[in-house]
Amino acid sequence: VSLNEALAWIAGLFEEPVENMKPGTARDAIPAWDSLGVLTLMVGLDERFDITVTGDEVASMKSVDDILAVLRRHGKLG
Amino acid sequence: MRFLLVDRIRELEPGRRIRAEKTLAPTEELFRDHFPGFPVVPGVLLTEMMAQAAGKCLDAEGRPRGKPMLAQIRSASFREWVRPGEKAEIVATIQSSQDQVATARCHIEVGGRTVCSAELLFAFVPRDLFAADWRDPVLEAFLMGRADATDGAGPASPARSSVAGGEGRA
Repeated sequence: VSLNEALAWIAGLFEEPVENMKPGTARDAIPAWDSLGVLTLMVGLDERFDITVTGDEVASMKSVDDILAVLRRHGKLG
Repeated sequence: MRFLLVDRIRELEPGRRIRAEKTLAPTEELFRDHFPGFPVVPGVLLTEMMAQAAGKCLDAEGRPRGKPMLAQIRSASFREWVRPGEKAEIVATIQSSQDQVATARCHIEVGGRTVCSAELLFAFVPRDLFAADWRDPVLEAFLMGRADATDGAGPASPARSSVAGGEGRA
């Protein structure tokens, strides 16, 4: 996916307006990225991109950039 | 009423799919209030039926990841009323199953018609939080080959399962 598509997907996942979602956006700035949000992210990565991450990996993500890095590492982000 | 919202399991592929059933008797006290003169099964109970059935499907896998607990109702639709005494046939298909989280797509049929559907997300809670001697009577009854687990509703037809790679152990 493109960067914009990835940002839109992350925005939808956390029910945020897409214009609020930038690569540098911190986890703390996304209210829905709480403990339930972590689970949602894990499922989302699996369902949308067929990427399985461990709980520790996903818990260590602190910003949108970290999610994008996972997509990039798995060859999903163009 | 007890909060056992699955009477029996009919078919089970552990970790993949389950078909189960539940009938709420017209004598259940809740129907006095939901609703007076127009008794119908509450949507929250239909949702819980789907969650409990999906939870048993996940539990049946026996993975050491804890007990599945409903964490999120990702979507839910209620299309038709379910009346007291009608048999709800609950179907859950596991979509994603990881060490910490799982999702299931579920629906309930009454008389062959889909009356509601939901997509549910489960988190896994350590089993040591629960009573150590607790066993799931419905799941155990199915795995032991008895489909009539909890309500004394009489003998049921043989259950089907892919447990142990074939037909049920009955």
